[in-house]
Amino acid sequence: MTDPISPSSQPPSKPAAPSPAKPSGEPISRRDFLWLGWSALVAFLGTGAAATARFFFPNVIYEPSQKFNAGPAKSFGLGVDLRWLNEQRVWIIRTDKGFYALWARCTHLGCTPNWFGDQGRFRCPCHGSNYTVEGDVIAGPAPRPLWRPAIELTSTGDLMIDKAVLQDLPGLREKEPFFLTYNG
Amino acid sequence: MAETTQAPPPGGPKLPDFASIKKAVVDSQVWRSMFRGGVWKDTPRDRAAHVIGNVWLHLHPVRVRKRALEWTYSWGLGGISFLLFLILTVTGVLLMFYYRPTVDLAYRDMKDLEFAVTLGKLMRNMHRWSAQAMVVFVILHMVRVFLTGAYKKPREFNWGVGVLLLTLTLFLSFTGYLLPWDQLAMWAVTVGTNMAGATPFLGNEGPFGTMMGMRINNDVRFTLLGGTMVGENTLVRFYVLHCVAVPLLVGVLLIVHFWRVRKDSFSAAPRDPGEEKAEVWPHLITREYIAAAGCMVAILLWSVLMNAPLEVMANPNVTPNPSKAPWYFVGLQELLVYFDPWIAGVMLPNLIIVGLMAIPYLDINPKGVGQYAWGERKFANVLFLLGVAMWFILIYIGYYCRGPNFAWYWPWESWLTQKAAPPFTWNLFGPDPQWRMLVGHDPQWKVLVDPPVANVSVLPIWLGLPVIGGGFALAMALPKLVQKEIKSGLAHVLFFGAMALLVVLLHFAVKVPFSQGLWLPFFGYLAFYFGFLLPQRHIRSLEWTRYLITMFFVVSMMGVLVKMGARLGFNIKYLLTLPAVSLNI
Amino acid sequence: MQKKLFYLFNFLMLAGFVAALAVDYHKDWRKYQAEYYRRTAGVLEAKAMQSSDPAEAAKLKAQARKMRSMPIQIRQIIAKDLGRVDRCITCHVGMDEFVNPTLTTAFKDQPFAGHPDLSGIVKNHSFQKFGCTVCHAGQGLAVSVEAAHGKTENWEKPLLREPLLQASCAKCHGNFETLHGAEIAAKGKHIFETHGCLGCHSIHGKGGVISVDLGNIADKPLERIALYNLSLIKGPDGKPLPRRDWKLPAWIEAHLTNVPMDFVPNDPYAKYNKEPIAPSGMPDFTQELTRDDADAVTAYLLSLTEEEQIPSRYYVPGPPQKEPRFANAVEHGKFVFNRYGCAGCHGLGGTKGRRNYNALGPGQGDMSLDMDKGREPTLVDTLGTYTRDELRAKIQNGVPSSQIQKFNPDGPTPPLYMPTWKEKIKGQELEDLVTYLMSIAKKQEEF
Repeated sequence: MTDPISPSSQPPSKPAAPSPAKPSGEPISRRDFLWLGWSALVAFLGTGAAATARFFFPNVIYEPSQKFNAGPAKSFGLGVDLRWLNEQRVWIIRTDKGFYALWARCTHLGCTPNWFGDQGRFRCPCHGSNYTVEGDVIAGPAPRPLWRPAIELTSTGDLMIDKAVLQDLPGLREKEPFFLTYNG
Repeated sequence: MAETTQAPPPGGPKLPDFASIKKAVVDSQVWRSMFRGGVWKDTPRDRAAHVIGNVWLHLHPVRVRKRALEWTYSWGLGGISFLLFLILTVTGVLLMFYYRPTVDLAYRDMKDLEFAVTLGKLMRNMHRWSAQAMVVFVILHMVRVFLTGAYKKPREFNWGVGVLLLTLTLFLSFTGYLLPWDQLAMWAVTVGTNMAGATPFLGNEGPFGTMMGMRINNDVRFTLLGGTMVGENTLVRFYVLHCVAVPLLVGVLLIVHFWRVRKDSFSAAPRDPGEEKAEVWPHLITREYIAAAGCMVAILLWSVLMNAPLEVMANPNVTPNPSKAPWYFVGLQELLVYFDPWIAGVMLPNLIIVGLMAIPYLDINPKGVGQYAWGERKFANVLFLLGVAMWFILIYIGYYCRGPNFAWYWPWESWLTQKAAPPFTWNLFGPDPQWRMLVGHDPQWKVLVDPPVANVSVLPIWLGLPVIGGGFALAMALPKLVQKEIKSGLAHVLFFGAMALLVVLLHFAVKVPFSQGLWLPFFGYLAFYFGFLLPQRHIRSLEWTRYLITMFFVVSMMGVLVKMGARLGFNIKYLLTLPAVSLNI
Repeated sequence: MQKKLFYLFNFLMLAGFVAALAVDYHKDWRKYQAEYYRRTAGVLEAKAMQSSDPAEAAKLKAQARKMRSMPIQIRQIIAKDLGRVDRCITCHVGMDEFVNPTLTTAFKDQPFAGHPDLSGIVKNHSFQKFGCTVCHAGQGLAVSVEAAHGKTENWEKPLLREPLLQASCAKCHGNFETLHGAEIAAKGKHIFETHGCLGCHSIHGKGGVISVDLGNIADKPLERIALYNLSLIKGPDGKPLPRRDWKLPAWIEAHLTNVPMDFVPNDPYAKYNKEPIAPSGMPDFTQELTRDDADAVTAYLLSLTEEEQIPSRYYVPGPPQKEPRFANAVEHGKFVFNRYGCAGCHGLGGTKGRRNYNALGPGQGDMSLDMDKGREPTLVDTLGTYTRDELRAKIQNGVPSSQIQKFNPDGPTPPLYMPTWKEKIKGQELEDLVTYLMSIAKKQEEF
């Protein structure tokens, strides 16, 4: 049986045995083959486009980690803790519901405010901005509340603070990962 | 041709015979292999041959309509934009020889270009000023094309290509802005790219973003920056985009754009009987040359006299106050005062682009093609120019009226003056509504005049969704639903009467001062006139599909004005807020 | 018309480009460099004329010829280890050791002069290894006068003038108090440690917590200084400081040459805020420090930088400070008094309490106006009423800000208070401090 696609030049190389894919024994039609060919091209272009999109998401970035281990959660009492202020520039605050941290950088011009426990507020020595213990501005030229870094509990019971992930919007800052629920 | 001979001076040397030298050169094999045609004669045939036979010129037709040659028709804006693109390409390539896009060297190379490279300062100045000028001229070109109706059928596609070119021009300017790596560069780009993080679904700070699993290190902003913040990866990406990828794309689109102008013929005005065409060589070519030379002179002189700024080196730990986007985006940054980033930075720009591209398909008025027609296309002209005016007014406000902490400073006020903290803002429809605060009797409950706390909502969400949604739909449908045209005089009387009543009511019932109450009729009138009266008068007769799409864009524009009025006049931050899904309107 | 425009624009294009070339070519540095070569050649030729030895005269003439044919180009010193490229020698050719090996010139005017102190500083600080700007500051990459000296906008480290120059020594020299050539900075450190600055300011965590840590004050970017405050500073002539001088050295110096309350007024009458905010709590040092003292302290403070990473092989540890010896407890107590900066609030030797805005103090009558007359306690007057135990407890517990009585109850909270010294002053130091304080108390009348 002659191959209908290439009629003249090539002698049939195989005897007329039915090909396994087509039980009826017919070879693929020209129209179907062309569709197959074009579909293959479209598939190639499509996967190419998807791969190009994936290409633009870097797998490694050279931003140094700003995480640090703040110590066992048990070692913190209620209130504002100053132990990491000098080295890491964060206050760690424990309430009866859990923990949050505040980045000790005034949102006005970047000075480090001081915590006044007797007045229950942070006061910046540079231009007098005052913040509540939640970080909201109650006086002074600061335009935004204090930023909260992400805080989580490690498997060994330590607090892990990540200063690269920050939030200052009320509503979002009281949720995970910016607030750590902790009892005991 | 006569040979010009001169009587040789007595006893002096014989002057060379220029005419015959020229003939010998032009008839030589070398010359003729490069330039066909031999010595040119000033005949129509040879003038046509100039145009057809030259690869750079043969995009032009041989003859062009006389009205297309008028300066006052096109003002040469498109051509000047293209010349600026060429100047940018040439100066840009030259700058690339002395600039390295790394965090360690970029700033240093900028200093070297200024101090140590021959003509480095001139190249940089020319590049920067041409870039600013190109943004301006591209917008002016778009306005001209609109006002002359040169986008109507069959030129809709070319208008769309033009809108894409406008977007790419802005993107080129934006990516180039980062390359000097000074404070202005880094923070302007930070402001601009933070808007990408507010994209709905695809940005980690946009509505529904966290639901889609978007975080700061896998969303669309991450891929634009190559990291979580503007850093060394961003510099390289923007460099490649700015110098290679986007210029190639612009080149391709320019080819399509010019081809379409040629094929659809320049100037589509109706033909006068017995109209004659003018020859491109020399009439069009001379005008193009003069426009180009004038533009070149302006850029050159400007670049010699004015220096492009370079601030201190980029420092990620120090944010300038205020931090502003480049001037062509500062209008969107001003909109951020009134809208959340996903609206101001994502939805509105996209709506503008889509809206612009849709114009030729919506505007089926056959009048005013190929000429400026004010009376015959009132609706189109007024609304388009309103949009352009809003764009530039917002830019003006954002650039000149916003100082440190983005507080309001009149343009003549020094930014050193201290300003009081702004009053708290409140929301109209939201969770935990406190409706009593609308009523201004008890001193603490007067949210319209002096909000006592921040972020309080006064009316419930279940009311807000239908009111806002329904209101928008009603505003879209109303002009067409009113079958007869409302007389202008009557409409105005009714409107201002209603406004006066409202202002008086606000004053006596809830103690809103008259000076504050006047914001209501100001913005209200703008929305009434442009959003109801004009459509009512002009597009009532459009069929429903086109009508609704047009009204969608018109009402969206009015929505921007209404929101601005609400914020500036009454300190309303959100008309509707759904914090659970980060959706705030 | 078109023809006219054609000629006009072509001509303008050419003219514009020629103008650009001219502007690009005629830079100041070419002028200065050419003049240096000219002048030096002139000096050499004059010497050649006066010389009696013909061989020497010929040599001098050859040198002069070489000078006259030197190419005019940008010259730079690349201090690779420091990551600096300094083009100062483009104008200051006399300080280029390859053009002028002796580094001295016959000229006194800049930029033609040579570099001073050859046997001292220059011998120990090879120019190729250090460059110029690591000591002198300024903008090394620039070659125009204003820009290179850093006197332009957008360059935050201008050329350090004479007394402040010594701030740079501390970048490499540890313990510079005894370093020859850093006397002014050492004097500044001494003043800082004896006039009570440490009572409010700490340096690397050592000192008071009331105000900012100054450990890296030299790195403070201009963006973090409120321009409004800079606009209120007065220069040495009493006039407001010109805009081009609004830089960090002027800001630091102003704290000692201006009254801080005047240029950091904040908002004591609640005009811009919901609550009043007291002006700067820093006292007025203009009466007890001279201009030279202020320069010295500024030089010391400008040496406190953490940003620049100098390679360790440049570091020279100085001799360690000697442990101080005290003759008796009172002497030791006086040392402790200075060490913790008590003079910052209580005055030198506790003789006059410094100003504390809106605290209850002497001479206050008008509720709204006399808030600036509030004072800290004058120790010599008050100490007599304390027993040793009471005094010890007072020092250890401090006086929190909320317990300081306000003169005007509607006015701002006073900015200064007494911190708790429990953690810092203990044991023998505490005892000797109490002894010293008891010794300076004025004798009270018998009860």
